[in-house]
Amino acid sequence: MREKKSNPLKYFADFGKAVVKGDAGVKCSLLFMGAGYTFKGQWLKGIFVTLIEIAFIIMCIFYAAPNLAKFGTLGTVQREAVFDPLTMQQTVNDYDNSFLILLNSIIALFLIVCFILFYIYNIKAVYELQQQKKFGKHIDSNKETVKSIIGKKFHITLLTLPAIGVVLMNVIPIFVLIAIAFTNYDQNHMPPNSLLDWVGFSNFKKLFTEGMGNYFGYAFRKILGWTLTWAVLATLTTFIGGILLAMLINKKTTKLPKMWRSLFIVAIAVPQFVTLLLVRNFFGDQGIVNTICSNIGLTDWLKHIGLVSAHLNYIPFLTDPHWAKFMIVIINIWVGIPYQMLIATGVLMNIPTDQLESARIDGASKWKIFWKITMPYVLFIQGPALITDFVKNINNFNVIYLLTQDVYITPDQALANANAKEVDLLVTWLFRLTNEYYNYKMASVIGIIVFIICAVFTIISFSKLIAGDREEEYQ
Amino acid sequence: MAKTKKIIGSIISHIFLAILVVIWLIPILWLVVTAFSGYPGINKAHFFPTSWSLDNFKKIFLHPDSVVQYMTWFKNTLVIAIFTCIISTIFVLMVSYAFSCMRFKGRKKIMTFSLILNMFPGVLSMIAVYFVMKSIGLTNSHLGMIIVYSAGSGLGYLIVKGFMDTIPASLREAAKVEGASEFTIFLKVVIPLCKPIIVYQIISSFLIPWGDFVLAKLMLNSGISSDWTVAIGLYNMLNRSLVNNYFSVFCAGGLLVSIPISILFIIMQKYYVEGVTGGSVKG
Repeated sequence: MREKKSNPLKYFADFGKAVVKGDAGVKCSLLFMGAGYTFKGQWLKGIFVTLIEIAFIIMCIFYAAPNLAKFGTLGTVQREAVFDPLTMQQTVNDYDNSFLILLNSIIALFLIVCFILFYIYNIKAVYELQQQKKFGKHIDSNKETVKSIIGKKFHITLLTLPAIGVVLMNVIPIFVLIAIAFTNYDQNHMPPNSLLDWVGFSNFKKLFTEGMGNYFGYAFRKILGWTLTWAVLATLTTFIGGILLAMLINKKTTKLPKMWRSLFIVAIAVPQFVTLLLVRNFFGDQGIVNTICSNIGLTDWLKHIGLVSAHLNYIPFLTDPHWAKFMIVIINIWVGIPYQMLIATGVLMNIPTDQLESARIDGASKWKIFWKITMPYVLFIQGPALITDFVKNINNFNVIYLLTQDVYITPDQALANANAKEVDLLVTWLFRLTNEYYNYKMASVIGIIVFIICAVFTIISFSKLIAGDREEEYQ
Repeated sequence: MAKTKKIIGSIISHIFLAILVVIWLIPILWLVVTAFSGYPGINKAHFFPTSWSLDNFKKIFLHPDSVVQYMTWFKNTLVIAIFTCIISTIFVLMVSYAFSCMRFKGRKKIMTFSLILNMFPGVLSMIAVYFVMKSIGLTNSHLGMIIVYSAGSGLGYLIVKGFMDTIPASLREAAKVEGASEFTIFLKVVIPLCKPIIVYQIISSFLIPWGDFVLAKLMLNSGISSDWTVAIGLYNMLNRSLVNNYFSVFCAGGLLVSIPISILFIIMQKYYVEGVTGGSVKG
């Protein structure tokens, strides 16, 4: 059931062949897309396809053309409100909304590309119909065409709605994000009150260079470094911790393994925003943990060895840059290990026991068995998921934002100028730039960078995942 | 000798497990006890509250004010969750059937493309999603939230498709011989066999709006508290100016939302493993 590999050249060659060798029906279809079907008796399909063509032309005239015409400049007419003394109301001129022009142009371009693909497909289909007729093969009647909607073409019926949703929620936003990165959309340029302009690569330049009152380069370097460090630490600690915990619970001598597992699951079953917000107050500067630490003398001891600066009378768990980073990793272990334990349990149960047995008979130590048999097996199964976890941690918004927002104040003025903090990940920085400072242009650039980083790892992970695809095994 | 050593080892590992469990459950315990605290702010000196009361729950159920509109938030989240759940489940079933049970040109390519697209974290394109929703006027509306949560759900087909792959093709062939259309097979043959995985799909998509914080925060930004979901409302109580009067109410609210969510989570967790490992492990 392998699909044929197609190459792009053949795609256009087939189209050319269809146009050249096609009969009158195919030639007419170049202008009236449904003509070819109608000539062969499939008038229902013909009408339907022609209706799509008409709808597309109407869309072009009334939607695509006016927007795309202004796409180059993103509009030229500034919004002006004039107070009209006669009606006692503000009248607004016929202004250009740069953002809507941008968005509509992208949607229009998308529709045009889709239509072109459909157009080419249509010509090929009409040509194929001509060939079928020529060789006396069966041609579907109108009734059969309608039936195929729930028959052999059912996949199109099934996929249309979800695909529209995905385009709306996943595809169009990516293009909008890319487009905004090349504009000056920020707090001083907010449509509809002011116009946007294309600024080329200057936002990218701002993110990659430092100095001259530009703090974004500095902030980006620092935050990228922490994001990657964090992602590595968070992924490895929870992964290894999860395996060890799963092994401890799965040990033959452990009584009531199910009960232990359930207790850990309770901790992650509570929604994250509840536990994280709670933990953040647990470790607050005046919080309960600080009271206990101070009572048992831990605070003084830490002061003594220099881990807490002398003028503080509490441990700055979430307010000092180094402590906060450390605590975030620790709290993430708390959040992440039960998940990894669940997965590791599943993996460990499937471990080939004959290998373990023979190793044991050969007298290998437990430690050796763990490193030479268990770990390689787990890594083999879990490898792709590990990379996916890494990508998820790069974007682990919840842990960082819920633990540090409103609590952590950066002491680094240069970072503060770029609206960043030491503990920020690229995504939380992006979120703050958007949600609090309306600096959409820089947020978009950061978004693109994160996208590229994620894309690289995702594709690595994916190529491994596909290798393990076993869909035909059962069927 | 070896036997006593084994017993001691077993005792040590049990004690170790018990310590771990305590560490893991301390915050949860703190949540529960603080929910019943008579003192509204954060109790800094004692782990257990000094006075016990049900005031926090009374406030939530009987005396909503401008800060605590818990029942409204709960209702909002419930409505969003129910619709998200219905749309997502239908979408995922449709996509899974198309990919698992039908063979058509470009199937593998579309599958690969959607898997890759699905691996990109949604947090990233959220500002652009926000723009799109804003320009069609759907920010600060529950309809907008439902669309945001469910529109792209078709991409998460992997687990359900994996389950459908295990349904023998001969069942479908037999139905086809008897003249059933693909639509009939989908409704009458495949869906009834998918019941367990549909339960998983329903629960997991139902849980999304309850656990989501970031999208709700971005989309429901008008500051009108009656529009909020539970997550945003509870987050707001921990605002610097409010935390000293509302911390224990936050705990009570957090506890109330956690109970149903935890139960659902525990029901579906056995499928969670399969989802993460891409079906390469049968847990």
